[in-house]
Amino acid sequence: MDINVRIAGEAGQGIETAGEVLAQALADAGLYVFAAKSYMSRIRGGLNWYDIRISDQALFSGKENSDILLSLTAEGIKTLQGKAGSQAVVIADKATAENSSGCNCLDISGTAKTAGGSKIMANMVAAGVVFGMLPYDIEALSQQIRQAFDSKGEEMVKKNLKCAESGAELTKGLSDKLLFPQSGGADSFLCSGTEAVGMGALSAGVKFASAYPMTPATGVITYLAKHAREYGIVVEQAEDEIAAVNMVCGATFAGACALTATSGGGFALMAEGLSLSGMMELPVFIVLSQRPGPATGLPTRTAQQDLRFAVHGGHGEFPRAIFAPGTPEEAFKLTRKALATAHTFQSPAILMMDQFLADYVTNTAPLNTAYRPIDKQITTSPGEDYRRYKITENGVSPRAVPGGDALVKADSDEHDAEGHITENLSIRIEQHDKRMRKEKGIIEDSIAPMRYGPQDAQELIINWGSSYGPCREAVDTLNERGHGIAMLHFAQVWPLKTEEIKKAIQGDAPSWPELTCVEGNSTAQFAGLLKEQGIIDSRKPLLKYNGMPFTGIEIAEAIESD
Amino acid sequence: MSQQETAWCPGCGNFSILNTFEEAVKKAGIDRRNLVLVSGIGQAAKFPHYTEANLFNGLHGRALPAATGIKIANHTLNVVITSGDGDMYGEGGNHLLHAMRRNIGVKAFVHNNQVYGLTKGQASPTSEWGFHTKLQPEGVINAPMNPLAMGIIHDISLVARAYVGDREHLREMMVEFLSHEGGFALLDILQPCVSFNKLNTYQWYSERVQPIGSDHDPCDRQAALELAGQWEDTIPTGIIYRSEREPFESLLPALKEAPDGLCEKS
Repeated sequence: MDINVRIAGEAGQGIETAGEVLAQALADAGLYVFAAKSYMSRIRGGLNWYDIRISDQALFSGKENSDILLSLTAEGIKTLQGKAGSQAVVIADKATAENSSGCNCLDISGTAKTAGGSKIMANMVAAGVVFGMLPYDIEALSQQIRQAFDSKGEEMVKKNLKCAESGAELTKGLSDKLLFPQSGGADSFLCSGTEAVGMGALSAGVKFASAYPMTPATGVITYLAKHAREYGIVVEQAEDEIAAVNMVCGATFAGACALTATSGGGFALMAEGLSLSGMMELPVFIVLSQRPGPATGLPTRTAQQDLRFAVHGGHGEFPRAIFAPGTPEEAFKLTRKALATAHTFQSPAILMMDQFLADYVTNTAPLNTAYRPIDKQITTSPGEDYRRYKITENGVSPRAVPGGDALVKADSDEHDAEGHITENLSIRIEQHDKRMRKEKGIIEDSIAPMRYGPQDAQELIINWGSSYGPCREAVDTLNERGHGIAMLHFAQVWPLKTEEIKKAIQGDAPSWPELTCVEGNSTAQFAGLLKEQGIIDSRKPLLKYNGMPFTGIEIAEAIESD
Repeated sequence: MSQQETAWCPGCGNFSILNTFEEAVKKAGIDRRNLVLVSGIGQAAKFPHYTEANLFNGLHGRALPAATGIKIANHTLNVVITSGDGDMYGEGGNHLLHAMRRNIGVKAFVHNNQVYGLTKGQASPTSEWGFHTKLQPEGVINAPMNPLAMGIIHDISLVARAYVGDREHLREMMVEFLSHEGGFALLDILQPCVSFNKLNTYQWYSERVQPIGSDHDPCDRQAALELAGQWEDTIPTGIIYRSEREPFESLLPALKEAPDGLCEKS
C-alpha cells in the first residue's frame, strides 16, 4: 500500500524545501518514504517537482504517476496532470489555474499572503495542504517547520507554521476517496547518496577534498565543507577539475587521505590526473556522479552512461577499482571500502553514483558514522635503502611519505624502483608488470554481486549501481504475480571476478538463467563488459536514457510484456 | 648531487641553475628530508631528478596544483617547484593565476628561456614579439606574458627575477627563497636556450640584465610594477616585490589545529 505525492512549481518557489520538510515529517510519523526531486538547469522559472512516495513497507523506487498532485503553477498542471492516476486528487493554486478542469483550485498564494504576509510562503501552505489530506498527526509537520526555519528567527517560524496550518484547513473532504498506508515503525533517518558518501568520507578519515562544482556531484564537497571544522579537514574549490585531481594527487603523495568529486564532463578533465595516480601509485579517490551526456547533456538529470569511461578513462594501462552503490546505505559503506582499497593497493578508486542516487532520500538504518579512519598503510620505518617502487610479488611497494627519514620520489615518467625517470626498456617492463600485478589483489578483495530473490530463478535481472532499488521492487512485484525471478546487483563493477560471477549468475538454477540487463544507458555498457570478460553471452537489455530514473513498475511491466 | 645522468644539452643554463641550487641548499641549511621538489614536464622539469630531495615530477602544467596539495597536506614541508616557462606559464597558466590568488606557501623557480625546448623550439608564453620559430614562421604575434606583474597585482608574498649568468646573485635569491616562510614566492630565472633561442643569448642578456638598486622599496607596489614592466634596454634582477599577505595555509582552521598538517601517520 503506497501513495505518491507530487508537488510542482517553478525554480525559486521553494518546492524542494516544502518537499524536504514533508518527507522528513512523514518519516518522523513512522512511514516509509522515497523522495526524489526532478529539476531543471536554471535558478528561477521552469518546472520542478518533488515526489514523496509513502508506504507501510520499505520503498526502493519512485513511481511515475502521482496520487496527489499539487502545483503552484499552471505549467505544472499542464505537464503533470496526465501523469496523475485516475483517482488522483489534483490541486492547483487558484491564482494561476482557475480554469483548469479536473482540478481543485485552492487559494494557496492568497492564504500565504494572509497567513504569512507574503506569497513566497506558498510552499509552506502547499505543505500544509498536502499534510492536511493525510491521516497523520500534523504535529510531525509543525516540528519539521520549526527545525527548518529555526535559524531564521522565531517570527519566521511562526509565520511558516501559520501558513502550514492554514493550508491544512483548506483540504476538508478532498482526499476522502484515497486510501493511505498506516504509519508504522520505519526508521526516521532519511539519507541521500550524497550525504552517505560525505559521512563515509568523514568517518574514513578524509582530510582533504578538492573539486570544481558540477551537478550532480557538488553536494558531496558541500557536505564536507559544512563539516570541515568539526573533522579538521580542508576543502578547496579548485580552479578546474584538472587542478582538483592534481591537488588530490599531491595531497595523497604527502600522506593525506583525500578525494575529489565530479560528473562526466569534469571526469573528462581529470583523465590525465587519473592516469598519473595510476603511474605514481597514489591512493586517489574520485566520486563520479553521472548525468546524461555527451558534452553538457542534461545537467540535472540522471544516467548510467559513464561506466566504460570510468573503466577505460586515462591513457595507458593501470589497475583501478570501481564501485557502484545501489542505495545510500551502500554508498556509505562503499565510500569507506573504496578509500581502503585505494590505500591497500596504492591505486585509484572510483565511486559511481548518478543524479538519482545522489539526490533521492529514503529511510536508512542508522549508519555507524563514528570516526574510524582507514589504515593508510604508510610505512614509518622505511629503512636506509628505501625505494618507493620496489619490485614486490603482489606489486604493492612499501609507501613512505615525505618529511620522514627516507626521500620519497614519484615520477609521471616511467621510472626505476627509486622513482627516477628512466628510458631503460627492461625496467619499464618490470615496473609496468609490478603495477599491473596489483589488479590480482584488487580482484581477490572485490565485492561479490548480491543476489535478491530465489536461488534457483530461471529469470535473472542484472543491474549495477543506482538501478538496484527499482530492480528490487520489480522482482518483488513480479514474484507476487507468480514469476520466479531474481536479481544480481553489482556494487563493484571493476575489476570482475569472472568465475565467481558465473557461479553467482547460475545460482541453483537447473540451467543457465535468462538474463535481463537493466541499465541507464543506450548501449548496455555493463552487459558489454560482462560479455567481453566471457561471463555472459546472450542477454536482453532493458535500457533507459531519457534522463529519468527507472521505476520498479516500468521494469516489472517491461519484463512481463516481453 | 644525485647519480642520475642529466638529459640536458651541453652548455644549457640548467647546469648553472642546478649547481647554484646545490650551493644555496647548503648555505640555507635546508634539511633535504623536508624538501619536496615539484615539477611538471619539460627539460627544466627534470631538475628534481638531478639533486637529492623528495620529488614529485608530475604532469605537464600541473606542478602548482600538485604542490598546493602537498603543502596543504603537510604544511611543514618546504615545497619548491623547479620547472620551465612552458610548463608554468603556458600549460599551467590558469593554475599560476589561482595559486597567486591563494598565495599558497610554495616557492616556484621558473627556468624562463622564452622558448619550448623539449618539443624542439616553438614559442613560449614569454617569447618576444616577432620571435621566429618553425611553428611561428612569420614571428610571434601574441604579447609576451608578464608573470612578475601578475604576481604583484595578485599581491603574492615574494616576486623576484634572477639571471643564470650572474650566479652569485642567483644563489643569493635562491637562499632567500629556500628560507622564505610566507606565501607564494615566484623566482623567474632568465636563462638562454643554446639549442633553440638564437635571440635571447648570453650576450643579449648580459647587455641588459642589471641588479635592482638598493633604493627600491619592494613593499612599494607601484614601483614594483614599474620594475616588472622594464624589459627593453635594461632588465632588472633581484627582489621586485614583497607582501605581508598571509599565506593560504595559515588561513585554514584545520591546519592551525593540527601542526603536522593532515597527514598524521597511521
